Amino acid sequence: MIGRSARAGLRWMLAFLCFGGYAAHAEPYLAVQFGFKCNVCHVNPTGGGLRSTVGDVLAQTAIPGAHLDTGGDNWTGALGQYLRTGGDLRFDAQVSQTPHAPSVQEFSLEQARVYLEANVIPDRLLAYVDEQVAPGGALNREAYVIYWSASHDWYLKAGQMYLPFGFRLQDQTAFILTATGINMTTPDQGVEFGWERGHWDAQLAVSNGTAGGAVTSDGKQYSLDVAFVESIWRLGVAANNNDQSGGAKTAFGVFGGLRTGPISWLAQAEITDDRSIANGQGRQLATLLEADWLIARGNNLKITDEFLNPNRAVANGEETRWSLVYEFTPIQFGQIRAGVRWNDGIPQDPAEHQRLYFIELHGYF
Amino acid sequence: MGCVAGCAGNGDGLNQNGMPITSGNSGTGPITPDLQSIEDNVFTPICSKCHIGASAPEGLQLDAAHAYNALVGVPSVEEPTFLRVDPGNPDESYMVLKIEGAPGIEGGQMPLGETPLPQATIDAIRQWITNGAPNVPGATAAAGVFAVLDTFPGDKSTVIAPVPRMVVTFSHEVDASLVNDTTVTLERIGDPDLDAATVERSVRVAIASVLAVHNPAVLLITPKAALNAGVYRLSVRGTGGGALADLNAEALGADRAVVFSVEPAQ
Repeated sequence: MIGRSARAGLRWMLAFLCFGGYAAHAEPYLAVQFGFKCNVCHVNPTGGGLRSTVGDVLAQTAIPGAHLDTGGDNWTGALGQYLRTGGDLRFDAQVSQTPHAPSVQEFSLEQARVYLEANVIPDRLLAYVDEQVAPGGALNREAYVIYWSASHDWYLKAGQMYLPFGFRLQDQTAFILTATGINMTTPDQGVEFGWERGHWDAQLAVSNGTAGGAVTSDGKQYSLDVAFVESIWRLGVAANNNDQSGGAKTAFGVFGGLRTGPISWLAQAEITDDRSIANGQGRQLATLLEADWLIARGNNLKITDEFLNPNRAVANGEETRWSLVYEFTPIQFGQIRAGVRWNDGIPQDPAEHQRLYFIELHGYF
Repeated sequence: MGCVAGCAGNGDGLNQNGMPITSGNSGTGPITPDLQSIEDNVFTPICSKCHIGASAPEGLQLDAAHAYNALVGVPSVEEPTFLRVDPGNPDESYMVLKIEGAPGIEGGQMPLGETPLPQATIDAIRQWITNGAPNVPGATAAAGVFAVLDTFPGDKSTVIAPVPRMVVTFSHEVDASLVNDTTVTLERIGDPDLDAATVERSVRVAIASVLAVHNPAVLLITPKAALNAGVYRLSVRGTGGGALADLNAEALGADRAVVFSVEPAQ
């Protein structure tokens, strides 16, 4: 399965390591930890989904605690000269406790996704599909084509895609993802221009603004994300305007990352104003502060502190959420995540005081 | 836990859904099989964390101002052969299938990534639908102008055949006596197999238009024969004599048309 592309990937990895960088594979904290842009390890320049050949190789060598060597070639997802595939599966056992309600214990297949990339013109023109195959029936998340410039300084993407806005976290229920409504459950159809020259990592997307719903007006959604990426820090701004018939929604955010020794820090703050919601109820403030401590290779401790003001027009309604998650990656392509999330909010709403305990098996390739 | 990024609110002056206490919204109470209770206990505190505003997933807004007209009698975007809420028929209501995580749904069980709704809550929603999914008493006298809120298919959208019905959702209940083949029309205006000159000649398509039994703000349009691949224009007339109007005789004031494409199933 290995081949020229894998050997090229290994050379890339060695080159990065030699020049003081590391490697990344899935979450933005890894990009900060290793000083990379998202497109180093993902086919999608804005992150998430299918890993690149570099990402696949790193996922087998630099990320896990140990590399199981069976004497075969490393997996690169290559199905031939022009096709690559990959996938993610997350299976949870969880207990949730809400005041004044029975606790709920369940096994849950969170998601199984399959990715396919067709390199129609290698390194220049590719088609990409991200399909969620479980739970439930198949659901297309992303389907687009990308044209890259010869120097890979810029690209043009068209189709159905996740929109760029700040950090693309794995936890889709994070306040900074629900407040904007821009996350991996709300892909939109449109076009995206990306500028990836030097330290700059910038995207501008124009899309329908309906998150998969019917188009009912000529209004469009504009998403802008600009970041400056250095090896140990990054700083970015994001803006979004979704002009729909019921009223426009705007969002502005700032985000940054910093590596201090074994700890990677992420921070994001954003405000939203959704004028399609009556009485000023669409004005929110959401923040995220995350620390990821790489205790040893394959062992990461994640602590997040989130804050949400769900209605800036009303006092005393703020919510917070703390998460403590241990991520253990003993071998390539296999990860166990165990954690707890504490919610806190107004006393009169039990749902804002939920405790969630979970252990998750994450398989990826 | 500490308050690094900010502290939780103390809730002073707010009801259970975080809204300022005023007369009429001081509390929610246990869930009962009526829309007001379902809004207070489910849609507002749980669903509308995501399903709200201009960027709501699938365009489905579940805040109190939009939930009824977005759900009752409206085809699902994920599975258009199902209505989101099919009054009197909870087993065929896509919203029920989604909150139960039933086989055949697209995507995940709702609420996504959260603990499934308690069975008592699902039972209340089922009973509300079995009862005909009635609106909140008095909600039909909604303020604001009489207008088209939503359509299915959407303007400039492409849908895959078969298209069992089309839907126009209005802001107010519609005067049923004004729904006829002069106020609601469907034309086939394009055919991918024909040349441009031919395409200019529109062809009227026979339809049956009725208001949803339990939600007269929703107009259901059923083609009398299957729609072939092509481009269609669905029009509602809001001007001239006998124009579409609400129960207060307020006319739309403007004609509204949406153009959509039908493509054959693969």
